[in-house]
Amino acid sequence: MLSVRHISKAFPGVQALSDMQLDVHAGEIHALVGENGAGKSTLTKIIAGAQAPDAGEMSLDGKPVRWTGPAAAKAAGIHVIYQEFVLFPHLSVAENIFIGHYRRNRLRAVDHAATERAAAELMARLGVRLEPWRLVGELTVADQQMVEIAKALVDRPRLLILDEPTAVIAGQEVEALFERLRLLRDEGVAIIYISHRLEEIFSLCDRVTVVKDGQWIATHAVGEVDRDRLVTLMVGRDVTQFFPPRADAADVAAAEVVLQASDIRLGRRVRGASIELRAGIVTGLAGMVGAGRSELAMAIFGGLPMEAGTVAIGGRVFRRMTPAIAIRQGIGFVTEDRKGEGLAMLQDVAVNVTAACLDSVSAGPMLQSARERSIADADIEAFRIACFGPGNPVATMSGGNQQKTLIARWAHTCRSVLILDEPTRGVDVGARTEIYRIMRELAARGVAILMISSELPEVVGMSDRVYVMREGSMPGVLEPGQITEEAVVDLATHHRHAA
Amino acid sequence: MNGSLLAKARGVGAAKAPLAGRIMPPGFTSLLSRYGIYLFMVVFLLVAAVAAPSFFSRGNLSNLVLQIVPLAIVACGQAMVILVRGLDLSVSSVMATAAVVATSFSGHDADIPSIVLLSLAIGMCAGLVNGLLVVKRNVSPFLATLATMIVLQGLRFAWTHGAPSGLMPPLLHRIGAGTWGFIPMNLPVLLAVALPLVLVLHRTTLGRRVVITGGNPMTGRLLGYPVDAIVIGAYMLSGCLAAIAGIVLGGYAQIVDNWVGRGFELDSIVAAVLGGFALSGGRGNVAGVIAGSIVLALAGNIVLLIGLPVQFQIILKGVVIVFAAACYARR
Repeated sequence: MLSVRHISKAFPGVQALSDMQLDVHAGEIHALVGENGAGKSTLTKIIAGAQAPDAGEMSLDGKPVRWTGPAAAKAAGIHVIYQEFVLFPHLSVAENIFIGHYRRNRLRAVDHAATERAAAELMARLGVRLEPWRLVGELTVADQQMVEIAKALVDRPRLLILDEPTAVIAGQEVEALFERLRLLRDEGVAIIYISHRLEEIFSLCDRVTVVKDGQWIATHAVGEVDRDRLVTLMVGRDVTQFFPPRADAADVAAAEVVLQASDIRLGRRVRGASIELRAGIVTGLAGMVGAGRSELAMAIFGGLPMEAGTVAIGGRVFRRMTPAIAIRQGIGFVTEDRKGEGLAMLQDVAVNVTAACLDSVSAGPMLQSARERSIADADIEAFRIACFGPGNPVATMSGGNQQKTLIARWAHTCRSVLILDEPTRGVDVGARTEIYRIMRELAARGVAILMISSELPEVVGMSDRVYVMREGSMPGVLEPGQITEEAVVDLATHHRHAA
Repeated sequence: MNGSLLAKARGVGAAKAPLAGRIMPPGFTSLLSRYGIYLFMVVFLLVAAVAAPSFFSRGNLSNLVLQIVPLAIVACGQAMVILVRGLDLSVSSVMATAAVVATSFSGHDADIPSIVLLSLAIGMCAGLVNGLLVVKRNVSPFLATLATMIVLQGLRFAWTHGAPSGLMPPLLHRIGAGTWGFIPMNLPVLLAVALPLVLVLHRTTLGRRVVITGGNPMTGRLLGYPVDAIVIGAYMLSGCLAAIAGIVLGGYAQIVDNWVGRGFELDSIVAAVLGGFALSGGRGNVAGVIAGSIVLALAGNIVLLIGLPVQFQIILKGVVIVFAAACYARR
């Protein structure tokens, strides 16, 4: 249906796309994968008319097309759902869906009843139950995403492009989304699906196109390739061992307990959760988004005040934790929101990596910039942070390098425990493997690692032990030998069949 | 991800290989926004020199500095509050109160220690109240400091019955308006304020904690920094510096009314912003604030020297602000 040939696009200093090609058929879900910066977004924008290509041609149903702007592409039935939703939180579901073309009555005034009825019809077509009069701001992220998709359906799109739709949802919500996308596919809609999560591609998509450095690498039917092959195509080298080797079961059992959190409570979000972290061991914390994992981690670190429970570390028992106490006890915390609460985004690499250990770069109250620089230089080397030097502002770096900078900061202070909340979110494949390597290296130094993750392969591939949370409580822990994706899902969702 | 491509597309400057484009040192625009205020200052000085030869006369220069100092002192405190994402509208009221206090004693130099202590205490209290309202009650800085400004104004009126009448101690008048040769005697006051501030802000661990907290309080909190104390401290410092500026400015005028320092709340904000302090916090350096104060004062001085009507001062000030805003908005 859509055919893209020899498309090139350059930005000042960067050849974003060169000689790119892509064919999408009606009634298929076509995955588009590649590392960050590979050119997926630029290609998307060109298909959607948001940017004009420098060279190359596009055709729709065999007829060459050239968009004058996004409106032209939309009129031809091409609709993009970006990662950041374009919704109005203070308007209702129906108003959001029909924004710009509300149903009107004879007086040319907005006919709210008709608009809501039409919205309800669309929602039914998607198989979603959402009251059309609810305010979008009150919905869950997953429901907002459904509103966004319903909005796209108003124009009866023929090609729907989704840019990392599952970055913000998890578990059952992902399955629900897939179900709806399959419905649309069966109606003949073509779907381009962009994602970093390779396992999704195997469960959802029909074909997959790999791009790298702005170039087309390969297009395969999903049945023809496996995960390792895809990763190899994406990074351009053989990634035989995606996850570093785990600890031996005997070592896991014998390892010393360095932190014991008991019966932590935090409002309705954490209702009595206990966790035990062992030296040199990577402990996974799994569960659905909203199960209370981040809140539990925050409580242990002292970022949120716990209402009940204790944290035992270093031979002491704390009823009240603060970040200052936690840091003094050798706990590090890599937050899931590196831009919002992790990095000092206005500052450079040197300031960020030394922010938690200012005492080690100062003499008395005075900062010593030479020591600061040498620490930053060493970190850049050890963590392979791509930047021009310690003075590189973190805001201009890629997600993976920002994440490595944040981990480097805490690597200085985490003598006993390092908590990482979604350490590879928004990080490309190459940086991911390095983050896994760094986590193992820290563990080898005797640090107890707590990794929160929503990605099952990551939980299973990295963890020596796995705690699973569900609705604020902690239904179980999986020891070595028990850790499988099925076992985690069972505990996280309380499935019918017992594990 | 969309972000990385956009970052590449912006490419900060010259054409290079794709990867290099992402990791190049800051380009021209970023330098301009960092050092633009000094450029501004030099341009203004040149304009003044060309347009009015009398500008560089000793009398005009030392008089100019005498006027700049009080503004620069207040602006330094204001900048610290802006650094932690706040605003301090109460500075003008603290200034006037300090000036009124200075004339409420017998008018002899012997009272100066009491005057200074009392004024600083008032400034600190005002800052403490501002800080507590902002930190503990989550009141917006605009409203909190506006309220403090009005309350303080009311207290001042009640105390003076509307018409302050005392005398400034002679030494304070000399510090505020006198010169040694051509060196204005209030300049050391500014140096005594600004130099330690530069040192603490840019060279100590405390300063680093303040800057990081200002850029993002949540980041500071998760680093175990005393975030609340830092914010309250910034308001208290602003109050103290406003009190000092009030005494200096009161000394300059010698005759004190209830409105000493009127307009300084906005001028100090402008000076701080001109100097590179972003209202969103976490950014700026103290030297820029002083340059900003100089530019503001020059804008007024040039208009007078050229012989334009005094209203043009206000217009030129507005133009300067617009220019600065456009300059900083680039980043």
